[in-house]
Amino acid sequence: MAGTHIGRRGAMAAGLGAAGLAAGIGSSAAFELDGSRKILVYAGGQPVPVLDPHVRYDWSTRMIQQSVYDALAKYVNDPPQIVPWLAERWETNPDQTVWTFHLARNARFHNGDPVDAEAVRYSFERGLRLNKGVAWMLKDVLAPEAIAALDAHTVRFTLTRAMPSFLTYIPMWYIVNPKQVQANIANNDYGEGWMATNAAGSGPFRLRRFEPQSLIHMDAVADYWKGWPQGEHRRLSGVIYRVVREPATRRALVQRGEADLITEVPADDFDLLRDARGMKPEDHRGMTTFAITMNTTKGPTADINVRKAIAHAMDYDALMQIHNGAASLMTSPFPEQVPGHIAVPGIPRRNLDRARQFLAQSQYPNGGFELEYVHVQGLEDPRRIGLALLNALQPLNIRVNIVAQPWPTMVARGARAETAPDMVSVYVTPVTTDPDVIAGKYHTRAHGQFWGMHHLSDAQVTQWVEAARVETDAPKRNALYADIQRRVVDLQPEIFGMLANRRWIMRDYVRGFAYCPLRLTGEVDLHPLWIDTA
Amino acid sequence: MWAYIARRVALTGLMLFGLVCVTFTVSNVAPSDPAALAAGPDATRDMVETIRREYGLDRPLHEQFVRYVSGVVRGDLGRSIVTTRPVVQDLARFFPATLELVLLSMTLGVALGVPLGMMSAVLKNRAPDHLARFVAVSLVALPAFWFGILLQLFFSIWLEWLPTSGRLDLATAPPPHVSGMLLLDSLIAGQGATFGQAFAHAMLPALVLSFPCLASILRVNRAEMIEVLSADYVTAARAHGVSRLRVICVHALRNAMLPTLAIIGLRWGWMLGSTVLVETVFDWPGIGLYAVSSAIAGDFKPVMGVTLLIGLNFMVVNLIVDLLYGVLDPRLRAGA
Repeated sequence: MAGTHIGRRGAMAAGLGAAGLAAGIGSSAAFELDGSRKILVYAGGQPVPVLDPHVRYDWSTRMIQQSVYDALAKYVNDPPQIVPWLAERWETNPDQTVWTFHLARNARFHNGDPVDAEAVRYSFERGLRLNKGVAWMLKDVLAPEAIAALDAHTVRFTLTRAMPSFLTYIPMWYIVNPKQVQANIANNDYGEGWMATNAAGSGPFRLRRFEPQSLIHMDAVADYWKGWPQGEHRRLSGVIYRVVREPATRRALVQRGEADLITEVPADDFDLLRDARGMKPEDHRGMTTFAITMNTTKGPTADINVRKAIAHAMDYDALMQIHNGAASLMTSPFPEQVPGHIAVPGIPRRNLDRARQFLAQSQYPNGGFELEYVHVQGLEDPRRIGLALLNALQPLNIRVNIVAQPWPTMVARGARAETAPDMVSVYVTPVTTDPDVIAGKYHTRAHGQFWGMHHLSDAQVTQWVEAARVETDAPKRNALYADIQRRVVDLQPEIFGMLANRRWIMRDYVRGFAYCPLRLTGEVDLHPLWIDTA
Repeated sequence: MWAYIARRVALTGLMLFGLVCVTFTVSNVAPSDPAALAAGPDATRDMVETIRREYGLDRPLHEQFVRYVSGVVRGDLGRSIVTTRPVVQDLARFFPATLELVLLSMTLGVALGVPLGMMSAVLKNRAPDHLARFVAVSLVALPAFWFGILLQLFFSIWLEWLPTSGRLDLATAPPPHVSGMLLLDSLIAGQGATFGQAFAHAMLPALVLSFPCLASILRVNRAEMIEVLSADYVTAARAHGVSRLRVICVHALRNAMLPTLAIIGLRWGWMLGSTVLVETVFDWPGIGLYAVSSAIAGDFKPVMGVTLLIGLNFMVVNLIVDLLYGVLDPRLRAGA
């Protein structure tokens, strides 16, 4: 029976230290064993309710999908690069409307079936027809009928128009085994019911146990077609992703050695753990932008001078302090890792004189009004940022009412300009390196999305976003994005905040961690990880 | 008696219908768009509409209500928009874990609360009584969330005696599924080691969940025992030479148990509701955790399903308690 030969081994034991939190830090370390091979335990706060790669993605879901499935290409490294994976190579025509991918000939699904062009065609068709999850990326330019398996190892995509960002989405489209999916179709659901809790992939890990609320146990595929970068002798036996919702419990688990790797570590805990014996920190510049979005259609924040006054009064040092310095201030609406990013001159920093000047030019020269600042209930950093904002606006005689709301309520309110709060804290993580995913935040089509709660309507920005979306000449495209960044900063629909670092704490025997900022929040590439007991 | 049971069952049905109305209304007045949330932050409007149609959220509210009620009658509680599975399936998956926790907590609460209450009453106004009352008040006042984390720090981090969270060690395969309750299933399968693991994992959450119940039982039982012990029949029994132990443990306790039973019934419902907090702290994959995850995602059908299940449980347990009243008190039996 599964698990009968598995056990926990205490690898080290050291005495407890002084009383208090520090007492337990680094006191012991252990890892799960499966025979002579190790199982890595990763504790994160987010469950994985649905495994289907064409239905849902968020950081924890995508991490498991990335582990059990393969895509034609994969994001690696920092700055992010797209490298061939199931596809050995690809080419496109001059106007970038026809893309041809040549597949690796040795790729195999877990059940032994070959990963062929038909599997690729079926997977993309399935994603488009389900019209969920990843479908938004390609549905405007790719029809299911426009995907052709030319032979067993060649697949061609014909787009309805040029789309320079096409390749950047490819790593998000995982390839499923059509035979397994079709064998489990019920009520023409494309196997959606079955795929929610089962896998039909070719990735480095195969699913062993799936408990959506608590844990996912995956076994490493011994003869994984792509091989193991750490070497077959050092590869893991498997990985357990354990859902641990409380940060204090996650910390406890890594301290006890019950988890080898944890994420979503509060700043103070991170500082405590980073130098502790037996621990190893990973601290990298992130791509997730934090902004305080302002409603540009109603109330005082509809006045551009009020928005500029607020942006110049904001205490940006406080943003850094809240993260214990593990963040960098935004120099543009775009993260720095995105191609086409420019450091926009004159992006607001705290300057009370300028803030007062802008306020004097507004319809509220003496302030005297109250603004609602909404943040997601239960998140500590945005609450503290709200307090910093409250302090920062006092000199302008602007009061701030800090309101914590559940995420669904906040999003529902923000979907309509009439109900959108005056100010909302918003984190946005781009899913690709293409600047269009960030520029699109300021397009009128963003209204109704959580990142479009500013409800900005600027014809110039919208036109530039549309033009850049189809521009295939890179210098021209970058010039358009530079214009967009300058214009957006000038319109000030948001207080451009910071990019918080991505951080993990792991036991010091964990090796092979490879950071790529394009992965979502706590997502880790599990393929190259291994445990060094030497 | 049978007429009484029939009346109570009919009343339970009515109350359940009321519960359905309330939960449906509350779920739908909350400003939220479950379809948009399920579609994800990047979804286009037509993708959101696809999900809205699929889950019937595009229908008028009254139609959704009628569909939901008729579904409930047929045992169909709808589909979770997040897990994409029928709510009934999810509940069947998660409820045994909660039931196991609540049963264990209730056992602890009764096994400790009743004797402590008796001891307090017998040793009234002496040091053990003061201590027991102090503990009882403290246990009722402790917030489960905070107390759970405190116990984790003490027993898991400092002493390293008990596991931090979960139901089994990570790489241990659960016993073959019979009831879904790991303690029971591991016993059935004859897996002693797995039983030990499951018990160790359940200890901390069960303790946290049991303390307020233990405290209530202790206080009620103490008060009743004090009253009963001063009754004439107790004095008469002692005068007839019945041993003190027999008077306390048999004659007095039996009569003092009636209000205690009522408390147990009430606490059962309270415990099911409290699992929301305890399961979150200990990552115990039960219906409390399921409800929390669903509420955060604006997924109302599971929240309504969990509410109904807890409500039904509460009503059934209280019905059983009422019937046990009759068993313990012949006067009530005669009245019924």
